[in-house]
Amino acid sequence: MIAVRKAWRQIFGEEREAFVLGLLRLSISALLFFNGLRLVLEFSHNGYFADYFHIPLIPEQWLPDHSGYQLLLGAQALAAVCAFVGIWPRESLLAASSLGLYFLFCDRLQYHNNRYALLLLGFVLAFAPCDRSFLLVRGRRHTLPREHRIAPTFARRLFQIQVTLIYLGSTGGKLLDLDWRSGQVLFRRFAEAPAIAASQGFPLPTWVIEVLTSRWFASLAAKAAISSELFIALGIWLPRTRRLALWLGVVFHISIELGANVELFSWLMVTSYLAFVVPEVRERRFEYQAGNARAALLARIVALLDWCARFDRSSFVPGSERATFYVTNREGRRASGALGLAQLAEAIPLLFPLWLPLALYAKLTAKPRPAAASSA
Amino acid sequence: MPRSLLNLSPRLRPVLFCAYLATQLTLMIRAHSSPDLVFGFQMFNASSELKISLFRKVRRRDRVRVVPVRDGAWETKDRNGTRRTYRWQDRIRYRNLANLDRFVHAAYGLDAQLFRLQFALDDFVSHLPGDQETEALIAEVDTLENGREAGHVRLQADRR
Repeated sequence: MIAVRKAWRQIFGEEREAFVLGLLRLSISALLFFNGLRLVLEFSHNGYFADYFHIPLIPEQWLPDHSGYQLLLGAQALAAVCAFVGIWPRESLLAASSLGLYFLFCDRLQYHNNRYALLLLGFVLAFAPCDRSFLLVRGRRHTLPREHRIAPTFARRLFQIQVTLIYLGSTGGKLLDLDWRSGQVLFRRFAEAPAIAASQGFPLPTWVIEVLTSRWFASLAAKAAISSELFIALGIWLPRTRRLALWLGVVFHISIELGANVELFSWLMVTSYLAFVVPEVRERRFEYQAGNARAALLARIVALLDWCARFDRSSFVPGSERATFYVTNREGRRASGALGLAQLAEAIPLLFPLWLPLALYAKLTAKPRPAAASSA
Repeated sequence: MPRSLLNLSPRLRPVLFCAYLATQLTLMIRAHSSPDLVFGFQMFNASSELKISLFRKVRRRDRVRVVPVRDGAWETKDRNGTRRTYRWQDRIRYRNLANLDRFVHAAYGLDAQLFRLQFALDDFVSHLPGDQETEALIAEVDTLENGREAGHVRLQADRR
């Protein structure tokens, strides 16, 4: 009972730093805009969807007429732009995602899981305090002072649950499908790959074709895909496995983006990982040697790419330290060299795919610590 | 602190939270009983394929015959003797069902596309103004389920 009450209080009473939620709003509203733009282009190329075959999920009389649809498309695009630049950002986000959901209900043929997921995540995010940072309309003062950024973040939890549900739904569907589990579905897909590659002027080597068209490879790939999704869905909740789950997720979605046409899905899921970032900012430190060109360049890269405000940056005078830069992580571990770069990559979104390779490289090349001077 | 209508009071937060989750879970469970798995987050398509061939059931000189629809189009005279052309692709623009007489990918699986095809047939036969001949539209569908032959399906939509 006490545990339930504690969890309840933690979800609904929790007040955390909302800086990163602003970045999440920026990304989701951009994706909502592109989703709306697709509808506008379809409208201009094919005309009004209800003029030809469609399957509404709502009663036909609830559908907008031709000009009403045009108006709503414009309203959705405008709302997405407002959410992006920070004009009534949350209300605009709610309007853009709700209109998108309405359009989805107007025609079942328009339904795609990635579109639905985007609209749901936009809807939920509107209830989170994502209006405290990245308010582009305010110019240089786009982020509110810290005391205004501490706010109830229960909707962030709902957003996280929604991300997990997306993965669980996907995994569940694959697990229930015998053809998926056995690799038959992927076998068919992989079997088409050599012909597709050859038609695009990239004939695959014979050994690659042999691997791609073998049943064992398809079976292995199916099991790997299912277990990866399951690990991402559950691993992101545990502090010990979160980092690895997020890294696997990024790699998983990059590979999907390269191999299949999934519209905005990969971008959406990778963006949604921002909701799992520890909300507090400037808890890590990046120090660099003043006057050193390489260290200064690295400092500039950190300043440019540290979108989640993870690092507190400072310089030290030459000669006072052995290395040219140091990175201190949240646990207080101060490192330079490959491990320092790994600690940088783990906190910088654009460099995050490099985190695991760098960390492994750092571990493999680490010099053994000298034995204690005396054990006596 | 920025004011927003969406800053929910502590009392309303659990209401939204629970209502949202309950709706989501219901939709996800219900999706498994829906042929096109709508709202179910079934992300990766199956590798099934289908080939649709269209036929018309026509009445000529009091005899009913089934005639194939070539390239999705046919011509007939209306009551005033004016020739009119009816084209499947003019009305059915949904990519998975617009292609006839050749195998195409069945997005979201065979059940999904057969379910939608029945709607498409019903929709098309209800939009044949002036066609005095056509009594019904028939789709003969060959299916391949993840590479295996899954059989033949016949769907029909009658004009009312």
